[in-house]
Amino acid sequence: YKPLCFPLASTAERRGGRCPSALTRLGPFSDSGKQELIMAKSNASDAQALVRSLRSAYAATPTNLKIIDLYVVFAIATAIIQVVYMGIVGSFPFNSFLSGVLSCVGTAVLAVCLRIQVNKENKEFKDLPPERAFADFVLCNLVLHLVIMNFLG
Amino acid sequence: YSGWLRAGEPIDESETLAKSSSGSRLPSLRVLPCLIPPSMAASSETKGEGTLRKAFGGVLGFFILLLIGALAFSIRLFSVIKYESVIHEFDPYFNYRVTQFLTKNGIYDFWNWFDDRTWYPLGRVIGGTVYPGLTLTAGSIWWLLNNLNIPLSVETVCVFTAPIFSANASWATYLLTKEVKGTGAGLTAAALLAMVPSYISRSVAGSYDNEAVAIFALIFTFYLYTKTLNTGSLFYATLNALSYFYMVCSWGGYTFIINLIPMHVLLCIVTGRYSPRLYIAYAPLVVLGTLLASLVPVVGFNAVMTSEHFASFLVFIILHVVALVYYIKGILSPKMFKVAMTLVVTVGIAVCCAVLAILIALVASSPTKGWSGRSLSLLDPTYASKYIPIIASVSEHQPPTWPSYFMDINVLAFLVPAGIVACFLPVSDASLFMVLYITTSVYFSGVMVRLMLVLAPAACIMSGIALSEAFDVFTRSIKLQLPKLFESPGVSALNAFCSDMNFKSGDIDSTQDEVVKVDNKAATDKSETAPKERPSKKNRKKEKEIVETTIKKPLKTKRLLVLPLEASAVAILLLIILGAFYVVHCVWAAAEAYSAPSIVLTSHSHDGLHVFDDFREAYAWLRHNTDVDDKVASWWDYGYQTTAMANRTVIVDNNTWNNTHIATVGTAMSSPEKPAWEIFNSLDVKYVLVVFGGLVGYPSDDINKFLWMVRIGGGVFPHIREPDYLRDGQYRIDAQATPTMLNCLMYKLSYYRFVETDGKGFDRVRRTEIGKKHFKLTHFEEVFTTHHWMVRIYKLKPPKNRIRGKLKKSKTNSKTNPSNSKRHSNLRKNPWQ
Repeated sequence: YKPLCFPLASTAERRGGRCPSALTRLGPFSDSGKQELIMAKSNASDAQALVRSLRSAYAATPTNLKIIDLYVVFAIATAIIQVVYMGIVGSFPFNSFLSGVLSCVGTAVLAVCLRIQVNKENKEFKDLPPERAFADFVLCNLVLHLVIMNFLG
Repeated sequence: YSGWLRAGEPIDESETLAKSSSGSRLPSLRVLPCLIPPSMAASSETKGEGTLRKAFGGVLGFFILLLIGALAFSIRLFSVIKYESVIHEFDPYFNYRVTQFLTKNGIYDFWNWFDDRTWYPLGRVIGGTVYPGLTLTAGSIWWLLNNLNIPLSVETVCVFTAPIFSANASWATYLLTKEVKGTGAGLTAAALLAMVPSYISRSVAGSYDNEAVAIFALIFTFYLYTKTLNTGSLFYATLNALSYFYMVCSWGGYTFIINLIPMHVLLCIVTGRYSPRLYIAYAPLVVLGTLLASLVPVVGFNAVMTSEHFASFLVFIILHVVALVYYIKGILSPKMFKVAMTLVVTVGIAVCCAVLAILIALVASSPTKGWSGRSLSLLDPTYASKYIPIIASVSEHQPPTWPSYFMDINVLAFLVPAGIVACFLPVSDASLFMVLYITTSVYFSGVMVRLMLVLAPAACIMSGIALSEAFDVFTRSIKLQLPKLFESPGVSALNAFCSDMNFKSGDIDSTQDEVVKVDNKAATDKSETAPKERPSKKNRKKEKEIVETTIKKPLKTKRLLVLPLEASAVAILLLIILGAFYVVHCVWAAAEAYSAPSIVLTSHSHDGLHVFDDFREAYAWLRHNTDVDDKVASWWDYGYQTTAMANRTVIVDNNTWNNTHIATVGTAMSSPEKPAWEIFNSLDVKYVLVVFGGLVGYPSDDINKFLWMVRIGGGVFPHIREPDYLRDGQYRIDAQATPTMLNCLMYKLSYYRFVETDGKGFDRVRRTEIGKKHFKLTHFEEVFTTHHWMVRIYKLKPPKNRIRGKLKKSKTNSKTNPSNSKRHSNLRKNPWQ
């Protein structure tokens, strides 16, 4: 049994194996249970379609931006590991925990700022040379880690 | 507009144009500059003149700024000229003592300093409870000057720190207003801030308090924030975080910054002004700022645990969500984006509710919902009077009266609304920020007098914007219409037409045709009015058609407001007179109202100036006539001065961090002699100091503050009840006063031997004769009274070694009066008996 589009197979167009999204036309034909099933399945298929389109759109971004994104993900993952560890072990000494987590979060934020400034699609920053953006990133990280070193205890 | 030449440019430019286009000099061509794009008139001479004019403007602006700095510095020197170079008030003495320690012992000892000469026997951790910004600043200035072989004393550096930093603050105001509106508004705002009485009151020479440095840090932080917002540069974001760190070091009012900036970010997001620059301006500030704030020992972990900072974290999360949404919107197609939205919204709302529930549970579990007492009293003005009488008793924490607004910001009070309107034409991120700043500071200034100081920079900036815009319009009107006075009526009609028209910003190429056409037409019709108007109108129509057909970009019409000549001249004159009134008021306020060092009092009598230097006399006596380790008890007002000037250990001082300790001293002052002696003896006190103004009419003496002592003491020790000291709800010290009042220690110490001065004991402050005139002190002895009886020092009498004859009396008493003991036990339990 072909789900979703079976009642419409005769009347509606079939596009690329997916149903047209005009699910409301189902109204007079189906009972509520079938409609919920259809909605849930449409949600699932929508989610799949969404994930697929996200993936394809993201694959189009340039490599240097992808590297920055990878760095951001790494920093956030490190922060999450530290928080889980704090949950297990307890938060003493609190200043070390704070400085560890905030250094990860801080460098992630700064990397995102770098990505914003380096991204060629941002019209506001087209006059900014990427070397200047990177130099600002390094400077800010320097200040951040100096403070971290002081606060680490 | 800035791309076009201003209407009414000097004649030579139109002459060059006339030469270049038709080769004949025509006075009517003066009208043309209002049509001419710069590229048409941009011969090398005019370009050079443009940059020359800009350079001249820049140099003029620089000298104006220098003058403003000199003005800000010198207007605060009245106290030094009228009195002497001395530190004022109470709190500055503590800062002065800390700076002395810093300069003598170095920064490591200062950071780890435990002070045992105050709050005896508890002591105070200075390193962890003081905002170090001010002392470190003054200390570094002293160190730098001394290394340059300029041997200024620490006191001189401390006295003049505030005027120097007020000059810096006016320069910072210039920078901030330049980011919001432009150079003209910046200069006006800086000039206004240099003189505003509210700021002068807390930063005269000698007022060595946190606000002297903190207001500069506040304005500078706001400047760097708006600069980052306008440019999107991470470098300025770093500087912004460092400036915020300096602000956290300097003053407890830094919570204003860390709540105002998130509010502004939220406002920008909600009004659809999200941009990547907003992310760069805010996100690094939160992370770096929180870390830097935790570095300061006073703040410590409060930076992440108190409710004052939660707003910044919440907006941080919201900003990231919004940024993510915008990013996904950018990379997905609109259809898929809608699908994503529906999916995410259902899941996201569930997660949000869960997180919110956890957060609310955490916050509600603490009794004050995580806010500190001072912040709560800001949000709810009646909080302090209900729960924390100490906060309510500080005079700076009272709400201001309406006249104090006019006294403190004068003319700016009604220029501020005009500035708010000017900020909306046109609206930008920075001007939205200014509007938010002024509204929040107006609210907070209504809660506490002390926070009028935060209102002052905002009011100056708004008024600067308003005044600058007003001057812009009036001078433009005069410039446009002044040539009219010297011309033929035909041309004047053309001029009038030109001045009322709409400017169209658009293609430059299309306007070249109009210029040539107008030029030719103007050249041919010289002296007739009607034919002149018609061809010019015809040209106008043709130009419009040409412009509309050839124009590619969308039209942006901006009508330049031009008022009649006489009205604008009169208006400029009136504005200048308004400014003159403001200046006169500021100078008067600085000279008369805010320059008094409360340590030295003066009065003008028929035989000249009379100086009351009693405080320093008393502290000097203490310093020279007592042992180094003697403890002095007084009301907490005088603690800082006693430790700084008399160098003796005190029981309580102005820091007021321990309510019970203050209540102990208050109870002692409110009790009869013997219980008071017991209390003081248990604290190892040797000397008691009271301030008494009855002889000379000094109103801020201890008898006037006595009810606060009763209230605070009664808050901790219930056997002190305030109604015991009032007769019919009235506080009196004359013959109608209650016996509890007439027997309490404060009354006795204030009025001991007072009747010897004039025979009747007339108290000049309370304006009555005192109730109990002739009495002796049993447990205290008077050791020093100053010249005008303003400070009186008493010594605790040591307990007797041998009690002669008393034992026999008590034995006979106990046999014959058993009922006495029963009566005593019925009274409230006094913990010291």
